[in-house]
Amino acid sequence: MTTAGQVLYARSRALPATLVALAGTAAFAVWAAARLDSYLDPDRRVPVVALAPLLAAAVIGVSLSSPSDELDRTAVRPWWPRRLAQLAGLTALAAVLLPVAVLGHPETFGPPAMIRNTLGCTGVTAAAAALLGARLSWLPAFGYVSAVYLGSAGAHGSAVTVWAWPVQPGAQPGAWAAALGAFAVGGALFVVRGARAEGPRG
Amino acid sequence: MSVLAEAKAPLLVEARRGFAPWAGLTVLLTLGVLLAASADRWQGGWAETAAQLHDAVLITVPAAAAAGCWQGGRERRRRTEELWGTVVRPPLSRLLVSALPVALWVAAGYAVAAGLALLATWPYAQGPLGDGPRLARMAADAFVSGAAVAAGHVVGRLVPSRLAAPLLATAGYAGLGVTATAHEGAGQSLNPAFQVLATWVPVWWQPAATAVWAGGLAGAAVLAYAARRRWTALLPLTAATAAGVLLVQTGDGLWHTDPLADRQVCDTSVTPAVCVNARFADALPQVGAALSGVTGKLAGVRNLPVRWEDRDGKAGRDEASLPSLTPLGWSFVRGRLTDPAGFAWQAVGALGLSGDCPDDPDGGLDDRIAVADDAVENYLAPDPAQQYFDSLDAGSDARRRAALTARRAARARLLAMDEEERRTWLSAYFAARADCRPKEVPAL
Repeated sequence: MTTAGQVLYARSRALPATLVALAGTAAFAVWAAARLDSYLDPDRRVPVVALAPLLAAAVIGVSLSSPSDELDRTAVRPWWPRRLAQLAGLTALAAVLLPVAVLGHPETFGPPAMIRNTLGCTGVTAAAAALLGARLSWLPAFGYVSAVYLGSAGAHGSAVTVWAWPVQPGAQPGAWAAALGAFAVGGALFVVRGARAEGPRG
Repeated sequence: MSVLAEAKAPLLVEARRGFAPWAGLTVLLTLGVLLAASADRWQGGWAETAAQLHDAVLITVPAAAAAGCWQGGRERRRRTEELWGTVVRPPLSRLLVSALPVALWVAAGYAVAAGLALLATWPYAQGPLGDGPRLARMAADAFVSGAAVAAGHVVGRLVPSRLAAPLLATAGYAGLGVTATAHEGAGQSLNPAFQVLATWVPVWWQPAATAVWAGGLAGAAVLAYAARRRWTALLPLTAATAAGVLLVQTGDGLWHTDPLADRQVCDTSVTPAVCVNARFADALPQVGAALSGVTGKLAGVRNLPVRWEDRDGKAGRDEASLPSLTPLGWSFVRGRLTDPAGFAWQAVGALGLSGDCPDDPDGGLDDRIAVADDAVENYLAPDPAQQYFDSLDAGSDARRRAALTARRAARARLLAMDEEERRTWLSAYFAARADCRPKEVPAL
């Protein structure tokens, strides 16, 4: 693909606006984390560690839509490298920006937990983009993470580290496995199939 | 023809098809995940179930606002705004036809989830006849979720962005979350998602006032946006303001402790008497059975507390604190004690074995008391993990091995006493322990 083609692709996916929105999300996370007074108790960061990646994933998910889906499918070149680059690039950017809000305490709710949640939420959102369409791709992740956020407090058992991955400390292997699994499956689904076509009735 | 009658037929079509049923299903599924994940902590207590359903408003309101916002942007996505501008139907009825089905479905999703939670609690509920589901609060919470749809719908009409809905949801979580955990200020009275303890009950008009507050704001937004006579928005706004002022002025008086939680239900046929919180009156036979081994061995022993009590705060002079059944999900799950042996051990500990007596400066007496405490505990209700701790001490340094040997010898001596001798010894022991007279703890 030529440079001009890449620029056109980026513009068609509203990437400039997406980058601005990701920067805004990171700024929101920094502002919110600073207000939490979490120097002594890193657990107070949980709302930011759960919510900021959710918003970043929503921003990324909405940018996965294609304005000319039928036309895209007539192209000779394969789309998967561009989809992969878009998803991986935006996720990497979010994974670099968001942890700045929660520096320190890597064992509990620090940068590793933020990176893990960014990967997991983006994976769920990418899967939703492939199955539901990009515009509404934020919905399943919002529902799941918010339900787990309220529902998992006080839950015990070994399985909780897997299903409640968005609210686990950074050092939990089960939570990492769940988030990485969600990112791998969701990412692969989107990269192979692209976002589900959305008619004007959506 | 009124606005609503005119809108009736399209309303049914909108309610059956499109996004509205999906919005209701999403709320139901989200609450389903939340309630299933936390079932141990609410199933079996009416108050806990009501508190969990009320806490869920923290996520249903932002989700409802996002769903309304999504629906509000539909005509823009379909590019049919101009077309709608040409029809004779007034803007308000067009908005209601689009927003009401989503609001009703979201409220229905909440109501169905709440109904299922109540059904799940019913077989395990342990309270007396007067206890039951808190329907008024649930109705108000369902109404508030529906009102959030209407307010979100107006935002969706006004903000032409694909990100409007997720941003609104995030702002909702953050806004409600921050004020829900605030310890003071008007925010906590006005916040429909304000988190309360399970044992708190609102004054009778609080659910209605919250519904008027939230519904009035949403109604004002809808009328200001779509009504032909925009000044009519002042009516719901006035109602919302009046309800808001009432809520803020009442402040802490909005909530009070459930009188049921202060009452005790007792079995006085044993010594000490066993009392459980009246909220879990049906659990008394089970608690009595868990403690039957202890009360059987204490028959005839003097100087004991009069009863075990299960209430908040420090026990009185002649009372011992029963290990609390709440919060649900730990020692008490779905109406059953999860570990009766551990429960009995904790209850024995509360009899005064680990009282607030000052330490002996020499330390010599402390060792003697520790050995006596251990022997009594071992006789009445041993720690379920005792063998494990003993094995740790057995493999440890010489000082801890010697302490273990002394403890085992004391346990054996207490067990070897005849009934009368042991009752006398225990009576002297409990008298000394209750009055913090360590020197009078009888030797073993």
